[in-house]
Order: sequence, then structure tokens, then C-alpha cells
Amino acid sequence: MPELLSLRDVSAAYGRIQALSHVSLSVPEGAIVALLGANGAGKSTTLNVISRLVPQSGGEILFRGASIAARASHEVVRAGIAQVPEGREVFREMSVRENLELGAHLRRDARGVAEDVERAFAYFPVLRERYRQRAGTLSGGEQQMLLIARALMARPALLLLDEPSLGLSPLLVQQIFGIIRRINEDGTTILLVEQNVGVALGCSSYAYILENGEIAHHGPSASLAADGAVQNAYLGGH
Amino acid sequence: MPPQQAVAALPARASSNLRLGLLVPAVAAVVALALLPVFTSGYVVYVANVLLVYVVLSLGLNLVIGEAGQFSLSHAAFYGIGIYAAALGNKLLGLPLVGCLLLAGVVAALLGGVIGTIALRMRDIYLALTTFAFGEAMQWLFLNWEPVTGGPNGLRIPPSSLFGVEILNDKQAYPVVLGVALLMLGATVVISRSRLGRAFRAVRESDVAAMAMGIPVRRVKIMAFLLSAFYAGVAGGLFATFSTYIHPESLGFQTTMTVLTMVVVGGLGSTGGALLGAVVFGLISELLRQAPAVQEMTYGLILILFMMFVPRGLAPAVSRWVRGRGHV
Repeated sequence: MPELLSLRDVSAAYGRIQALSHVSLSVPEGAIVALLGANGAGKSTTLNVISRLVPQSGGEILFRGASIAARASHEVVRAGIAQVPEGREVFREMSVRENLELGAHLRRDARGVAEDVERAFAYFPVLRERYRQRAGTLSGGEQQMLLIARALMARPALLLLDEPSLGLSPLLVQQIFGIIRRINEDGTTILLVEQNVGVALGCSSYAYILENGEIAHHGPSASLAADGAVQNAYLGGH
Repeated sequence: MPPQQAVAALPARASSNLRLGLLVPAVAAVVALALLPVFTSGYVVYVANVLLVYVVLSLGLNLVIGEAGQFSLSHAAFYGIGIYAAALGNKLLGLPLVGCLLLAGVVAALLGGVIGTIALRMRDIYLALTTFAFGEAMQWLFLNWEPVTGGPNGLRIPPSSLFGVEILNDKQAYPVVLGVALLMLGATVVISRSRLGRAFRAVRESDVAAMAMGIPVRRVKIMAFLLSAFYAGVAGGLFATFSTYIHPESLGFQTTMTVLTMVVVGGLGSTGGALLGAVVFGLISELLRQAPAVQEMTYGLILILFMMFVPRGLAPAVSRWVRGRGHV
């Protein structure tokens, strides 16, 4: 499969604190790639560097073979990368409808946007019932669904997902990951950051493990899941 | 009906009923307002002119603070810039009224854009302090740049002219003031419902989430300052059409606070609220004009009470009432 996104030797720092050093990874078109690791290992920073919310201090980021290092965040969205930011940032004061419209902020094709609202409803029927409701009044699971639906409104080629399982019941996690798989089967490539290792390895084809801002290990998800040593060393021995 | 259309049609019908219910009183109100000078004294028309200027000021301040969530405390400065620009455009360049109003808006907007660009680096209290300092600096400039502003002696504003007719009193100015205020109100509704308005509200809620949506946050913030200053400038230009004299004393922080109170009383982030707050609070302020000491205390008290007990302002309560009546 051709490569959609690749990071080569990417480093990033918050002030003097090194957050990422020489991270290299590759996301093939059509795949779900997982990025795993402990709290503070640099998973979210990696996503934020890709979406240009955090500047990189070195290395190269290629999307469809072209560098996006010098792009602004809105240019990255326009190029086809949408992010579900960490921390469940729905626009609480706005309706579900406005949240979805904001996801399509850079698009001018009203008809296509309306189609994609319907597509979002097909993935997440509950959003249709909540369409006029203020997003802040949604349950945690519904907000997570809205976040994913909102990111899809940009019609991204690559979806960056940050901890979609955070704070959800096991049943809801199963449900959300089922939908994530469907979204992927429908043609969206996904880079997934997760704490829930079992679920993440289950749905991804390849995984990277970050430790202290560096890639400590990587390989096909199935073999990482079967490798007891890796599990114990990096992933809390699940 | 396929489900897709059902979803689209339902809310549309409900809101068009509501819209029709509001249209009749709105048209009646505009007609009544337009006929005001026929039935009332010059003083009432003067008060109406002042209230309409406050309406435009409030609409502008609400855009930057209420919609975009950026604290700007230099509204009176942009208002002053508008007044001087209009007055000087008239006095020195002999511009007609429309030219003066545009000049007032554009000059204020340009400075607003500059302040917005500087303000990008700051947020919350730092932004409030910086814009406050800019407001104070501008008032100092108004007071001391004597060749241009007349300094502490104030500036006589010559009568402006519309299509060759000189505007000599409040009643003659009123149609212009009312017309422009309604135009600005219409523009505000359009902006608020546009992509830009949505982007404002997204930035108000979260910079990061807004960026993740592909919203150019910097540009949107500058735009908020620029538009808000444009409104204040036009409000200044309107003031200059019915006033004969301007003194810098009325262009300081007190005025900014008055407009801020109007927006808060009406309901931050709501166009109707800004309108309502300006009218209600403008009337109170006019009634208390004879007693300046009581006036300032009353402002403070109203602001505190609203922040404590009605933080969302009058607008939500009123719109609930209107909707409730619609169901009967």
C-alpha cells in the first residue's frame, strides 16, 4: 500500500522540555495504525505536531509525499488531515448541528456537506436525535461520537484519533471501535492514539510504542499482541 | 418523505412560524420608530438618536467580546476616532454625510485591526489591560493633539450635509441615524449567522478545537477586533451628524464601561441582547443624567447584580417569553 503519512526523525519540545525525539513512523493508505504508550510518552504531542498545533523542532513530516512542516493548521486540514483533539473538546455552547457545520468549516460545497451530515447520522444515529441540542448537554459517549463525526465533516483522507475510549464504559468502547472500523473500511485512513492497548491492537494493523518521546518498539499489531515481553515492558502486561 | 428531508423540514417550519410571529411586531416597531419625529418633541428625538448610537456601539462590542470572546476595553477610543474622523472629514475635506460615516468606520477599523494584531499575543486579563491602556492612550491623544482635536476646548462640528441638504437638528438627523442603525443591525444578524460568526463562537469556546477545525484563528481574531472597531467608528460618525460639539472627556473608560454594561445586561453573545441592553440601559442612563454621582453608582450596581444573578442577561428570558407566547 502506498504511504499516506510519514514522520522522519521528528522532534518537538515544549519550551526546554523535550517531548519527542527522532520519531519516525509511517501510515499506509487505508490502514489503521495505532500509537501506544504510557501517559506523557508523547502520543498526543505526535498528533499535535502532525496537525500543526505544536511546532516541530526537527525532522520531516510528509503527507502524500509533500512536506507539511511549514503549513499552518488550517492548511493541514484543507490538505486532508482532520484531528479529534484530546480532552473531549466539543463546542459545548453550540448545538450538535453547529458543531458538525464547524467540522466542515473549510468546505464550500453545501450539498456535499449535507450528504456528510447524513453519513454522520448513519454512523451515529443518536446524533440525529440530538441535532438541535447543545453539545454540552450530551453524555460522554455522545460527545465522543460527535467529536468523531465532526472531524469526518472535513472529509479527511487521514483521521487522527486521540483516545476515543477515554472515560467510556466497556460496552460503549466496543461500539465506538466498531464504528471506527467501519469508517476505515469506508476509505478513511486512521492514526489512533490509545491507552486501551487491547482494543487498539485488536483493530489496527500496525502499531508503534512510544516511550519518553521515542519510538521504543514497533511491529504488526498481531505480533505485538502475541509478544509477552513487549506487553510486559511497555503496555502494562495486559 | 425520506428521513433526510424530514429532519431538514421540521425545524425550518417551526422557525418560520416563529419568524412570522416576530415579523409583524418588528415591522410595526420600525414604522413606529420611523414616525417618531412626527409625534414627539425634539428632546425625545435627541434621546432616540443617543440610544441608536448606543445600539450600534453595543452591537460592535458584542461582536468582539460576546461572539468572539476577546476582551476589548478600548471601545470608547474607536468611538472617539469615529467622531473625530467624521467631524474632520466634514470640516476639512468637505465630505458629504455618507463619506464621513464611511471614513469614520474605516479609520476606526484600521486601528482596530492593528490592535487586534497586537492582541493576538495575549489573552484574558492581559488582553483586557492592553486594550484598556490603548483606550486611555487614545483619550490622552484626543486631549492633547490640539491642532486636530481641539484638545480640552473640544471641537465644534459643522453641520453635515446629505444630498446637499444641511442637517441642522436632531429631527433631521434622526432618519439617517435610524437607517444606519437598522443597517448595522441587519449586518450583525447576517455576520452572526455566517461562517465567520460561527468561527467567532468556535474561537470563543476553544482556540485549540477551533484550529483543529481548520479555522484560521489568528485571522478570525483580528477580524473580530476590526469589525467591532468599525461599528464603534460608525457610531461615532452617527454621533457627529446630530451633535455640534465633542469633548474628549466623554471618550474614556467610563463610556466603554457603559457599553459593556449594556452588552452584559442584554446578554453576552446575543445580538438581540445587545439591542435590548442598549435601549434599556440607555434609557436608565438618560433618566439619571441629572445626578451623575447616582448614575455611576447605579451602573456599577446593575453590572454587579447582573453578573451575579443574571449572567446570561435579559435576552434568554425575553426570547423564552416570546416563544412561550408563540405557542398560545
